[in-house]
Amino acid sequence: MARQRNPARASTDELRRLADEDLMQLVAGNDPEAFEVILERHADAAFSLAYRMCGRHAIAEDVTQEAFLAIWRSGTRYDRTRGSVRTWALGIVHHRAIDTLRRNDVHARRRAEDERLEESLEAPERTDTQAIENAAARELRIALEELPRDQRRVIELAYFGGFTHAEIASMLEEPIGTIKGRMRLGLKKLGDHLRGWEAVTA
Amino acid sequence: MNDCEHRMDAAAYVLGALDDDGRYREHLAGCAPCRAEVGELQAVADVLPATVAPAVASRALRGRIMASVHSEAELLRAAGERADEPPVRQRGIFSRRLWLPAGGAAAFAAALAAVLVIALSGGSGSPVRVRSAVLAASESGARVVLIERGHRGELVLRGMRQAPPGQIFEVWLKRGSTAAPQATDALFGVTSAGNATVSVPSDLRRVSEILVTHEPVGGSLHPTSVPLLHVPV
Repeated sequence: MARQRNPARASTDELRRLADEDLMQLVAGNDPEAFEVILERHADAAFSLAYRMCGRHAIAEDVTQEAFLAIWRSGTRYDRTRGSVRTWALGIVHHRAIDTLRRNDVHARRRAEDERLEESLEAPERTDTQAIENAAARELRIALEELPRDQRRVIELAYFGGFTHAEIASMLEEPIGTIKGRMRLGLKKLGDHLRGWEAVTA
Repeated sequence: MNDCEHRMDAAAYVLGALDDDGRYREHLAGCAPCRAEVGELQAVADVLPATVAPAVASRALRGRIMASVHSEAELLRAAGERADEPPVRQRGIFSRRLWLPAGGAAAFAAALAAVLVIALSGGSGSPVRVRSAVLAASESGARVVLIERGHRGELVLRGMRQAPPGQIFEVWLKRGSTAAPQATDALFGVTSAGNATVSVPSDLRRVSEILVTHEPVGGSLHPTSVPLLHVPV
C-alpha cells in the first residue's frame, strides 16, 4: 500500500501566505518547502543574534546553521501556545550560541566581549543599519540603553556574552546576590518600559 | 508576592546564566510563584534579540542549510516508503535472529542491504551522513534515521507509537557483531505525534549497531522487550 504524500503540494507563493504556525505543521510533516519559508523569514534575525553573541562571522554562520537544522528536525516540538515561531527559533539560536561560547574559557570570552563593547562605542549607529531597523527594535534598544549601566551590563554579559552569574560576579568582583539582583531589577524595568510602550502604541 | 528563597534565580535563569538549569527546572515544577516570575521575565528576555544590530544571513549559508534539509527530507521519505513494504514477520523480530541478521530472515537482509548512506555538505566541512533504521513491524508507520556528524550521531524518530503506560524508550549499543546490547542512559519519550530527537551517547566508531526498546521508567540494564528498531552502523 503506497503512502500518499502531499497530493496537493502548495506552491511556494501559497506557502508564503501562511502564518509561521501553520508552516511549522507542514515542517513537522517533512515538508522542506515550508521550512524554506520559515528560513526566509527568520534567517537574518537568527544570524544577527548569533553574530552579536559569537562576534565572528564563520562561527555565527555555524551556530545559525546548527540551529535551523535543529528546528527542521524537531519541528513538532514547536508549541504555539508558548510563543511565536520567531521567539522559539531565536531561543534555539541563543542556546546553541551559549554552548559554543562556553567551549572557550572565561578569559577568552571576556576579551571578546570587551572588544565588542569598544567597537560599539566607536561606531554607535550606522545609517544603513538604522534604515532597515524597524521602530519596535529601535524602541527596545533605547529601553535597554536607558537602564542603569550596571544593570544593563549584567544582562548583556549573561544573555549575549554567555557568562554564568558566578562568572559575572567574579569578573565584576561583586557578590553573586548583587549580580542576580541587578539582573532581576534590569529585566523588570525593561518589562515596565515595554508594557508602557505597548499601552501607547496599542 | 514571591517570597520563595529561589526567587532571585528567575532572572538569571531566563538569561541563560544559571549554572544548573536542570535543578532549577525541578524547583519550578513545584513552585508556582517562581513559575509566574519566570513567565513575566521570560517575556522580557524574549525581546532581547530584537535589540541587536541587524545583519544579513548570506545566500551561501541559506543554501547550505537548504541542501541539508532537502537531503534529509528525501531520506525520511525513503524510510517512510520502505516502511510501507510488507512488514517483517513478528517472529523474526522476536527471535534471537535479530542479533544475527545474516542468519536467515530474508526480509531483514533486504532491509539491511537497503540501508542508505549518503554524504551531505556539513556546516564547517565535517561530513554529515544519514542512515535509515530498520523498523519492527509494530512501528511500520514510523520513519527513523541516524544522522552522523563526524563521530557523533543523533537519532531522529517520527511517527513512533507511544510507549505503554509506565514505560519509556531506551537506546542500546552493540559493540561488535555478536556482543550483547549495552544499556545507555539515553532514555526518552516521544511527542504526541510520536517524534523525538536523541543524541547517541557514544563515539560511533566504537558502535556496531544502535537499538531502541521499551523499558520500565528509569531504564533497564538488559533489554526486557524486543527492539522497536535498529540501525547498523
